[in-house]
Amino acid sequence: MKLLIYALLLIKNSLEETNEILAGCDTSDKNLQIIAIDKIGAIVGNFEGDLIADKAKAIEFAKEIEVLSNQFTLLPVRFGSLMVSTEAILDLLNKNSKEIQNNLLHVENRYEFGLKVMCDSSALKSSLVENSGLVVNSSHAKNLENPNSVYRNWLEDKLKEHRLEELVLNYVDTVIKEITEAIEILGATAKFKKMVSEKTIIDAVFLLAKDQKNEMVDTIIQFQKKYINLMFILTGPWPPYNFVELTLK
Amino acid sequence: MHDNVIDRSKDITLLEMLDRVLTKGVILTGDIVISVADIDLVYLGVKLMLSSVETMEQIKSGKIIKE
Repeated sequence: MKLLIYALLLIKNSLEETNEILAGCDTSDKNLQIIAIDKIGAIVGNFEGDLIADKAKAIEFAKEIEVLSNQFTLLPVRFGSLMVSTEAILDLLNKNSKEIQNNLLHVENRYEFGLKVMCDSSALKSSLVENSGLVVNSSHAKNLENPNSVYRNWLEDKLKEHRLEELVLNYVDTVIKEITEAIEILGATAKFKKMVSEKTIIDAVFLLAKDQKNEMVDTIIQFQKKYINLMFILTGPWPPYNFVELTLK
Repeated sequence: MHDNVIDRSKDITLLEMLDRVLTKGVILTGDIVISVADIDLVYLGVKLMLSSVETMEQIKSGKIIKE
């Protein structure tokens, strides 16, 4: 018998009370329990046999964490973390208690949201070129008399490509700056990735107070209205997966 | 009106959920190992990696989401 760890949690009241809340959670038939030291604990479930990490099990695991996050301040543990005994988990909690507590305090009463900003890449580039006055499709005809024209044309094309990339990056930076300013007002913290793919120009995650949820949604609605050529996709609230910086030893 | 912004599409939510549960959160070890030091940790990194690759392939082929 092994123990599958779902999450680490902050125990605000007594362990008995926390266990009662856990028993009231709709976590199907998992028979979850809390293994704790002082104010931190691990929510675990019994597990027999080998864990085959297929998509269905991963989704089931994620759903359990979501249910638990509605009741507790927690740090989700990556799917597939098994330990062999209660003693091993207590040892793990003990060795890492300070880091766990710091991470838990950081995410307490906060939600995570995800934001993807997508675009029609060609249309966006055309629009940026038009607004900047950058000449992309110049004729090479003037170089035909020059024996080195093929190299010059290649170089010119590369330069234009580079300038176009710069234009797009500057545009993305501008959007990120505006989003950052807007969510700072809400007291949210953010992590951005830009140019994740040709179509996904921004992939961001936010951590914000639970009572700021509606304001966050309204903020993104305003951005969608302003940038009609972009598509803003907000997902959440999520447990704070992206704001855990913890590798347990 | 909020529904226009919070995308409730199953595909996107599923993709976001899988990305989080497979690649984010507390890590119990950075490596693919069977046992770490004295705590008998079992981490199924290889299987998870396979699962992530499968997900990526589905994304690429458009089975999960087409951007």
